[in-house]
Parts: sequence; structure tokens; C-alpha cells
Amino acid sequence: MKRRTFLSGAGTAGAIALSGCSADPVNQTSTPSQSDNTLTVATYSSFTGEDTAGNWLKSNFEAEHDATVEFTTPENGINQFIQRKSQGAPVEADLFVGLNTGELVRADEQLDEQLFAATDGTVEGVDSVKPGLDFDPDGRVVPYDTGYISIVYDEGEVESPGTFDALLEPAYEDALIAQNAQQSDPGRAFLLWTIKAKGADGYLDYWRSLSDNGVQILSDWEPAYNAYTNEEAPMVVSYSTDQVYYHGEGVDMSRHQIGFLNDQGYANPEGMAQFVDAENPELASEFMSFVLSTEAQKEIAVRNVQFPAVEGVEPGGDFGTYALEPPEPVTFSYDELAGNVDGWIEDWARQVVSN
Amino acid sequence: MWTRDGRALPAGAALTLSTLAVVFYYPVGSVLASAVYDAGRLTLAPVVSVVSDPFYHDLFGFTAYQALLSTAASVVVGLPGAYLLARFEFPGRRFLRSVTILPFVLPSIMVAVGFLAMFGRTGLLNDVLGIVGLGPVELTFTLEIIVLAHVFYNAPLVTRLVTAAWESVDPARVETARTLGASPFQAFRDVTLPQLLPALLTASVLTFIFTFMSFPIVLALGGLELATVEVWLFARVQSLALAEAATLGAIETALSLGLIYLYLRFEATQLSARDEGRGRARAPLFAGWRSLADPKRLALFAYAAVGLVLFVGPLVSLVVESVTTAGGQFTLRYYEFLLAQQTSTASGTTRPLPAITNSLLFGAGALLLALPMGVVVSVVATREGRGTRLTEALLTAPLAVSGIVLGLGMLRTLVFGTTLFGYRITVTGPVAIVAAHAVAAYPFVSRNVTPALGSIDDRLVDAARALGADRTTALLDIELPLVVPALVAGAAFAFAISVGEFDSTVLLAEGVDSATMPVALERYTGNRSLGPNLGPATAMGTVLLAVTTVSFVLIDRVGGRWDR
Repeated sequence: MKRRTFLSGAGTAGAIALSGCSADPVNQTSTPSQSDNTLTVATYSSFTGEDTAGNWLKSNFEAEHDATVEFTTPENGINQFIQRKSQGAPVEADLFVGLNTGELVRADEQLDEQLFAATDGTVEGVDSVKPGLDFDPDGRVVPYDTGYISIVYDEGEVESPGTFDALLEPAYEDALIAQNAQQSDPGRAFLLWTIKAKGADGYLDYWRSLSDNGVQILSDWEPAYNAYTNEEAPMVVSYSTDQVYYHGEGVDMSRHQIGFLNDQGYANPEGMAQFVDAENPELASEFMSFVLSTEAQKEIAVRNVQFPAVEGVEPGGDFGTYALEPPEPVTFSYDELAGNVDGWIEDWARQVVSN
Repeated sequence: MWTRDGRALPAGAALTLSTLAVVFYYPVGSVLASAVYDAGRLTLAPVVSVVSDPFYHDLFGFTAYQALLSTAASVVVGLPGAYLLARFEFPGRRFLRSVTILPFVLPSIMVAVGFLAMFGRTGLLNDVLGIVGLGPVELTFTLEIIVLAHVFYNAPLVTRLVTAAWESVDPARVETARTLGASPFQAFRDVTLPQLLPALLTASVLTFIFTFMSFPIVLALGGLELATVEVWLFARVQSLALAEAATLGAIETALSLGLIYLYLRFEATQLSARDEGRGRARAPLFAGWRSLADPKRLALFAYAAVGLVLFVGPLVSLVVESVTTAGGQFTLRYYEFLLAQQTSTASGTTRPLPAITNSLLFGAGALLLALPMGVVVSVVATREGRGTRLTEALLTAPLAVSGIVLGLGMLRTLVFGTTLFGYRITVTGPVAIVAAHAVAAYPFVSRNVTPALGSIDDRLVDAARALGADRTTALLDIELPLVVPALVAGAAFAFAISVGEFDSTVLLAEGVDSATMPVALERYTGNRSLGPNLGPATAMGTVLLAVTTVSFVLIDRVGGRWDR
């Protein structure tokens, strides 16, 4: 009767698992047992963990303040909180770290109420943020670093294209891998950059020519860069900090050349903002002030491999040597994106699919 | 005891339905409702706008086209594998049979890595072709490589399901046909094929549905020009255009469910009591040098070569990538990375060992829950009666719903919580994860078990009932022991589904403590501490392969001990 025992055992195990699910529900009317000194920071997962900017911020902030920093890293990022707010579910975090302009526009367009609170002078150092990076006209989001989108190319295979128009030449046929603007940050930034260069009326024609010349659009940065590493194409849309990872003896830097187009690079600033529903707004302000301190700005730049947002901070070291800044950083402002960005991206994606 | 036994079946049905209601129907319903429900009123606007949009016609058309190609290719590649495993004996056959579902558990980013290393411009295949003066073949960014990737995922499904059916074909009938003058082909067409047909069609329908709703692999290998409906659905969810996303999801589900329903009606006409054929003895694959000249065997060796390129190639390439730097040198840095993660004390670090343990625990839990659920559904399915097929189709719905829709639904209901009697009730954590995995897995159990149960001679059960056994006792003591191979196959699928699951695991996990191997792998994909490469993820992928290989072999060995 061994199999009989096994089968009824399986049934019982199933019943137990099930009862845990329905008869013993978790009761969370308010976040339980959260002390006054815990700051819950929502961010993306690669911001946390060993050797990351997030981990450095946590331990150094905790050393200077009587507080505990906890990270929460929902898979769908800011959408999680937009949806929580719109459904009336508790937000359960004090601060969001890692917000870009498009996401702020989305949050504002989706919600009738405010998701983020204005800083109103409670955060020190806001005035020293580079003016070009400040992307929230309502003063809620504080930028803390930025990346510049550029081309990474193999100089053994192609020359730096130099301009957007050059990408349409036969020399660059089947040469470029980009990312899907619907789901990838660098992909979206690259698309916005082409709109900046060719205008909202001209970018679709430009992309039609680009498609005809064999540009490939993969889902996200990882598969795109992996395909580039596997020499599927001699150019990939990536960040201008590429050489920070690839330098030194024995490293073939010819495959890690940075190309800016039209002498520009598209800035993709990352910001932080306090939730309106934060349980610890004071602590959130102190944390944001800490992030803008010179020391933290240097550490974030090095560990997150992004440029500091605060004026006059020089990270030095390998970052200082190998991270390249475009001659002319460009980016769309909040007001330019509001009401437009979704349509721009959808029209583009429809054209690529239908092409 | 007998009273408990007598009630076990209805109780099992009730438990199955309540689990389904909590972690499947309610979450999915909450999303799909927004396709026809807006601000408290019924509306057809989202459906009309999708159905009347020529862009979507093309999108659905292309999606069906690539799914059809992928299904045909999966059958062509999978069927000879079933023949080989069911009819020939060779060293390593049982191992091979156990690991056929290995591709099922592999995250798409790892398949992309393995495929580029194998089939890419500078991949192994082109290196070998170059040596013999052929090629190069340009497969990257083409429809062909997506179809190949779909074959990689789904041909093993065909092989696995059909092997079981082939093993139970009564050899006496084939012999009779041959004695009566039928050629081997005629004997196959008229005797063997009809008995394989239910399994073959099950596998084809499942493959079609999976590849119809294929998502990450399409854009990781092919590019946006080859976008499927699911790619579009994901983009709509990203920009929180939820009504449009729900509409796309509802149409996908309706099409898939319709297909399943049609198939089930067909299957019901095919299921009939079969003689107790225990399969003809397997012929040795190598029977002296002379056997190598046998055309049948030559064809099988050629097939093995194809299998080596298509399945072993990407898997081995993945393992090789995990010990190779971007510059092509040997390295163990990626495994040192795993060790460093394990010993790290930094908060937010996903550690590999707990991820392995969680995967195994959730897999075992999902298996134990999915087996009874699947059996209950199979018992319902083998009943005669009006509406049975419809009920069965609805109970197979987890196969027919987009993973993105289910994930969105779980987020909005289970994770955000529902207010009941003044309490906000959320359902997350390990128990919810196991339940979600079991719901995704039990249709595989019932798809394996239903045909086997249906082929049991009704007279056996009638005899047991006449002798005083209640329905449950008859099931446990007479029927299930007769279908142990199908139960073991279902168990292996259930485990595989659980181990490979990512979407609901990451949603329902409470922090890094309930991370599984695919979740850890995804975290390492985004880790830049060794620079922008996928090395650490490939190391974790290799660990995932090793752990699941051992698990599948164990499941088959342990399960086999219950077989007569």
C-alpha cells in the first residue's frame, strides 16, 4: 500500500498548503511593526546588494543617523506604486530612487492625485544640481545622477559615424543594434534622441531609412550588448561610460569606442522623490540631502557608473579617466514629453513592426 | 476510513477549485474584466478598437503564422526522438528520457546566450562549417532562429508526450498487420499512428499555444520586426494602457481556449479502452557493425547529429560561456562571483544557495499539490456527459492565459490586497508561490493522466465498484496504479514548470528570502560588478541546469519504483 500512502500524503500536503493560503490570510491594514526610524526606499534591484551605490548609501547613512534603511525592489518599478495609488492600496515606501522623466510623466498622467511630495526646501543641496538635469517643473523629483546614451563601436570594423545621417549610409548597413523603446531605458533614450535630432515630424521617416539600412531592435540592453559582444554587429546603443569597465592591460579597447552623434549625447537623469504617503517624510528628506552630499555623489558615480548630478563633483579614479561626457548633452524636458511620449513610442513601434 | 475515502474525491475537487479561484480565476478575471468593463459600465469600445485595427490583424496573423511554423518544426524534430526512446535500447536511454524536459526550465535570456554562442555569426556552428569549407549561415535576427528556439523549448514536449504513448502501443497488432501483408509504413499509418495521435495532437496544441504566446525569446533573438501579440501586450502593460492590454489578453485567451475545447472534443472521440499492451521490447540501437548499415539506424544517427547541434549545442555553449571571458580566455571569476554573493552580508543580495533550496522546495510543493489537482481534473475529464468538455477546457485555462495577464492580475489582487470586513487581505509568500506554481503545473499532469485513465478498461472499475469499493477507492487502488508512468511524467512536468517559473514568483516573493534560481539569475543579469556581461548569470544558469538534471533523474527513478 505504499503508493496509497503516498497519494493520500500528497493530498494532505496539498490541503495544508491550501489552508495556509485561504484560511490564514495575512492581515496588513497598516505596515506592521515599522519603527519610526526605518526608511523604506523603493528602487531597482541592481541598485542594491554587494558593492552597490545603494549598499554604500545604506551603511553610511545609518552610521550618521539613528535610522535603518530598507530597500524594496519591485519588479515593475514605479508602475507598482502608480497602480497601488490608483487602486487605493497602501504605498508602503517612503522614497523612490531611480525615476526618469518619462516615468514621472506617466505617473502624473495616470493619477488624479499626487504620488510624490514637493521637497519645498527640506532637501539640502537641491540648488547645486546641474540645471540641465533638473526635470521636474513641480520640484518633487531631485536628480542624483545621469547617464549619457551613445554608440559603442568596434573601431576595427567601422569608423565612428559622427552623425545621425551617416548611420543611413551603406558603410553602416546591418551595423547597429538598438533596444526596444517600449521596454528598455537606453532604447527609449535613443529613440528620444532621434526625435530631438529629426523632430517629431521627421523621426519616423528617419527610422524608416534606418530600418531599411538594417538596424536591429532587441528587447533590452542585456541581449543587445550580449549580441554585440558576440560580434553580431559592430555597433550597439549603450552608455558613454563603457570604457570604465573595459580598460587596462590585456583589454582590447578597440571594441569599446564611444561615438557621439551630432556631437551630442542623450542625458537620462535619474531622480529620487518622496511619496506623499511616506510614513517618515523627515527621514526621507535627510536621506535625499545625504545623497546630494559631495562624498555620496562621488561614491554613486563610481559604484553606479553614472555621472554625478551635483555641480563640481569630480569622482576621479578610473571613472574620471574613462567615463566620457558628450560635448553637448541633450534631453527632453518634462513639458516636452508630457502628452507626447506615449504616442511617439507607439507610432515608432507600429512602424517598425509593420515595416 | 472508508467514509474519508468516499469523500476524498469531492473534497479534492473543492480544494482544486478554491485554489484555482484564489490564485487564478480571481486575479485573471480582475484584469480581463477591464476589456469589457469601464467605470462601472459594460463597454465594447476596447474590443471594437482592437478588432477594427488593421495593425492588429497583421500582428495576430504573424503571431499565428510563426506559431504554426514552430509547431510543425517541433513535431518534425520531436517525433523521431519519441521513436528512438520508445523503440530502441542504448546506453543512457533512461537518462536521456529523464532530461528531455530540461529546456523547459531555462530562462529565455540563457537560451539567447546559448543560441548566439552556438548559431551566431561567430558561433560554434559557423566555426565548424568554416573548417569544412561551408557557410557561414546568418541566423541571428531572423524568423528561422526564433523557430529554432521554439523547437528547442517545445520539441522535447512532443518527444516526452509521444514516447509514453508509443511505449504502450500493442506490438501484437503491429505484428498482425505485418503478417497480413502490410508494409512497415502501412502498419505504422494504420496501427501505430492512430494510437499516437492523441498524444501527438496534445503536444501540438500545447506547442501552438505556447509559441503563440511566446514573448521574451522573440525580442531577445529576433528583434522588434518579428514582434508577437504578447510583445505588444507587455508594452501596453508597461505604459499602463490596461484596457488595451486586457483586450489583447482576452482575445488570446479566447483563441487558446477555443482551440483547447475543439481539441478536447476530438480527443473524447479517440479515447477508448485499449488492450493491455505493455509495449514491445526495445531493439538494441547497436547490434554489431552490420546494424550500422541499416537505413533505419542510419537515419536515427543522422537525427542524433541534428539533436546534438540543436539541443546539446546551446546547452554546452551556455556552460562554456560561464567559464569564458569576453576576450575568450578561461576564467572561474563568474563562479567566484556566486561564492561572493553567498558570503555577502549586504542587504538586498540574492544568495545562490537559498535560491537553490527555495527552487527545490517550491518545486516539491508544487509537484505534491499539482498531482492531486491534475488527477481530480482528469477524473472529471474522463466522465461522460453534457458539458464535460467545456468544464475540462475551463479547468485547463491556466495553459490558455498569458503569463503577463496573470502576473498583472496577481499584482492587483493578491499583492495589493483586497479589503474584506475592514481588513486588507494580501496573499503572498512561499505558500502563495507554491499554489501559483501548482496552478500553472496541474494542466500538464492532467494532460498526461487523462489519456491514460481513458484507456483503462471500464470493466475493471465496474468490477471494483460492484465488489463494494467507492469511487475514490477504485481510483486509488485500481486506476492510478495502472497509470503510474503518466503520473511520473506529469510530476516531472510539474516540477519543471515550478523550477522555471519567474513571473509570479518574483511578484509573490517577499524580498530576497524567497528568491528562486531563475530570480537569482535575473538579478545577476543586472549586476555590473564584473562589468557589463552576462558571465555571472551564465554561471547561475549552469547551476540551474545541474540541479534540475539531478532532480529530473531522481523523479523518474523514484517514480519508476511505483511502476509495476
